[in-house]
Parts: sequence; C-alpha cells; structure tokens
Amino acid sequence: MLNYNSPIKDSKNYSEIKISEVEPTVKINLRGKNRDFITKIGKELSIIPPADPNTSSGNDNLNILWLSPDEWLIYSNNKIDQKNIDDLEDKLYNSISKVKIGSVTNVTDHWIMINLKGSKVFELLSTGCPFNFNKFKNLKGAVTQTLINHTDVIIHNKNNNDLNIFVRRSFSNHLWSWMNDSAKFI
Amino acid sequence: MFLINCPYCGERDQSEFSAGGEAHIVRPKQPTELSDGQWAEFLFMRKNIKGVQLERWNHAHGCRKWFNMVRDTSNDKIHAVYKMGEKPPIK
Repeated sequence: MLNYNSPIKDSKNYSEIKISEVEPTVKINLRGKNRDFITKIGKELSIIPPADPNTSSGNDNLNILWLSPDEWLIYSNNKIDQKNIDDLEDKLYNSISKVKIGSVTNVTDHWIMINLKGSKVFELLSTGCPFNFNKFKNLKGAVTQTLINHTDVIIHNKNNNDLNIFVRRSFSNHLWSWMNDSAKFI
Repeated sequence: MFLINCPYCGERDQSEFSAGGEAHIVRPKQPTELSDGQWAEFLFMRKNIKGVQLERWNHAHGCRKWFNMVRDTSNDKIHAVYKMGEKPPIK
C-alpha cells in the first residue's frame, strides 16, 4: 500500500459548525451475498453487517455501513496506524477473499473522511444536496449515499448533529472548499 | 425534476439516477448468425413511445443497482418500480 498522505489536514470552526478532516482511519469495502460471508464478518469483527437499507452497525472501534444489498463499508472510529490497518485487512482477506465467499478491498486511500459537527450541519448540507434530511437527522446510525454539490458522498449520521462524510480523494479538496464557503453564509 | 422510489434505498431525487433506456430487450442467443440489419435492430432500434414505457434505471449516486420502472414519458408519472429479473406489474 502507498504511504498515506492526507490531502486536507485542516479543521475549521464557524458559528455552530465545525468541519474537520479525520485521518488516518481504516476503510475497507466488503462485497458478498451468501450466509457464510455474513457469518465470517460477524466472527472476525464481532459486528454483523446491517441487512436493512440505509443503516449501520458498530462497536467502540469499528462501524459497518450499508451501501447496497451486497456491499458494506467498514471504517474505524478513531485514528489508526498503518500496522493496524494492514492487520485488519489481512484478517478479513484470509477469512473471506481467500476462500472466495466475498471480496475485501482496502479503500483507506480512496475515501477521505470529513467530520461535521454543530447545530447547523443539516442547513449547510441542504444548500447543495438533493437528499431529504427530515427523517435522517433524527435516526442515529443512519447512512445515505447521495450528492453534495454534484460530488458523490457517503453520509453517516453518527450522533445528534455529528456526521461523518466520505468523499473520494480526488474530489475532497473541491468539497472541502465548497463546505467552507457555504458555512460562512449559514 | 421528480422523485424516484429506488427498490433498495427508498425515495430519492431524480438527479441521483441515470436512465438506461428501454427495458426487457433480449440479447439474441447467437449474434454471429444475425445479419447486420438484425443486429442493428437489436442494438439501436427502440420504440421511444409517448406514453407508458418500461425502462431501465440505475441509482448511480446511491446503491448503484439497476432496476426497472414503468413511466409515462408524456408526464413523468411513475406507475411502478420493480427489481431486475421481476416481471413488469403493468402490461
């Protein structure tokens, strides 16, 4: 794997909104369909991947986000070093990919995680997002994949007014600039 | 602009989706045995009707799954949404 180098490395405070990049965190994409796959994930991580759409499951260290009926994203709550990222990937690879019951892809360098906190985070997102946040904002652990200012994102409602947004590395500076500009006018 | 009820994610804005054209067009089993005209008929020719049409759609900015839709092309009214492999609920 390439040496991890975060593109933003910044944190900004506005009135009732805090925007910060949280890196490095591990991100692993899982794809699989059969019962063995779900059982193995549960056994290795002690977390069952959620079957319900737009939901997540997790413990103190890791979260699993539902992306589609046969796809999930694992990410860590806290910053994590390279050795732990490799260990987790190896553990999942050996129990899933190697025995061909699903696929495990390390996407740590692919996604950038931006954390949004504050009472006006949904007002900020609503200025450039077609998604209806009315129900979403009250559902702790809810997940959605949508567009923010024409950029693909995964949004995880971690807690009340505390969101993690995943954006592709190549779009992360664009989204970061847009969010900072928009936050000034909220 | 209209709302589409993705069979996997629920109701979302149309801007998250991309249209994939007419649905239920069966690929010929032996393409090599077709004439150029027959192959072009399969590949390019579509009904493009004004009215109720069966279409394929992809939730490109969401779950990235393909599904089918019964839509009236004259007013964008969506009559039904169903998963790939299922039979259309309306004929």
